[in-house]
Amino acid sequence: MTEYFELLGIPRSLHLSLDVLQQRYYELSRQFHPDRFMRSPEAERQKALDLSSTLNDAYRTLKDPLKRAMYVLSQEGFDVGEQRSKDVPPELLEEVFELNMALEEMRGGDDSARPQLETAEKNFTNMLTEVDRQLEVLFEQYDHAQSRDKLTEIRGALNRRKYIQNLVDEVRKSLAPSP
Amino acid sequence: MAYSNKVLDHYNNPRNVGSMDRNDPNVGTGMVGAPECGDVMKLQVKVNPETGVIEDAKFKTFGCGSAIASSSLATEWLRGKTVDEALEIKNTDIVNELSLPPVKIHCSVLAEDAIKAAITDYKNKAVTQTVAVASTK
Repeated sequence: MTEYFELLGIPRSLHLSLDVLQQRYYELSRQFHPDRFMRSPEAERQKALDLSSTLNDAYRTLKDPLKRAMYVLSQEGFDVGEQRSKDVPPELLEEVFELNMALEEMRGGDDSARPQLETAEKNFTNMLTEVDRQLEVLFEQYDHAQSRDKLTEIRGALNRRKYIQNLVDEVRKSLAPSP
Repeated sequence: MAYSNKVLDHYNNPRNVGSMDRNDPNVGTGMVGAPECGDVMKLQVKVNPETGVIEDAKFKTFGCGSAIASSSLATEWLRGKTVDEALEIKNTDIVNELSLPPVKIHCSVLAEDAIKAAITDYKNKAVTQTVAVASTK
């Protein structure tokens, strides 16, 4: 599997210029375009097809900062699959559990719980913004000195973000007018 | 993907939902999670220190139907088992019992992890207690 950053010819980093990324993507898309290989031998045509499909995956992955970070983590041997994720810090699990409990209690109530839910929505959204800010800093630090410890921290922050995103979705579902 | 009847049964009538005092020396608590799906699962066992038999098991899971069903089933199986028997419960047993599809196997893994975490917590407490008692002698 061709490495995405390599394929796009950009240095591997968690911060990158979307303009440069897009420009490289367009250039290479043209270069690998099937029309240009109509008269080429089968093997070459297939190769161009494969490259252009990998290129699309690469672009989709790298243009999104979170997917980009997940990609770098997986390339570095971190387990980021759906199947299993150990090493979630206990404090995070406790925190998420408590937040979920509180949310469930509010949802169980009648309309009088609405202001509480609205406050919760605000809090969760603020937490999400806060994690994103942390991630920004961590990304920058990783780009400076590409250390494994930093990646571990990043993975932790991404896990936390995922949980908080879930809570935001859940609380918004409760606030949405019932169908 | 449709849920199996057994999953639906556990989801609609979860067994043993609740919580026990985690400071009780006979209670072991396991808290595990799968961030990718936003799941978090708490499973607790209450062990008779004389016999090593699990007398009560409780759980609370925030997650999908399969995660809830897996932990609900786990608490049913845990009751009456000894601590060592409990450690023999495999996620594949849960998969078979609930007919979980491949994409939901990780939910059963989570339940197995929760059982192991709860038992480990209980055992650690037991050791600490023994040490504490020994040191007062």
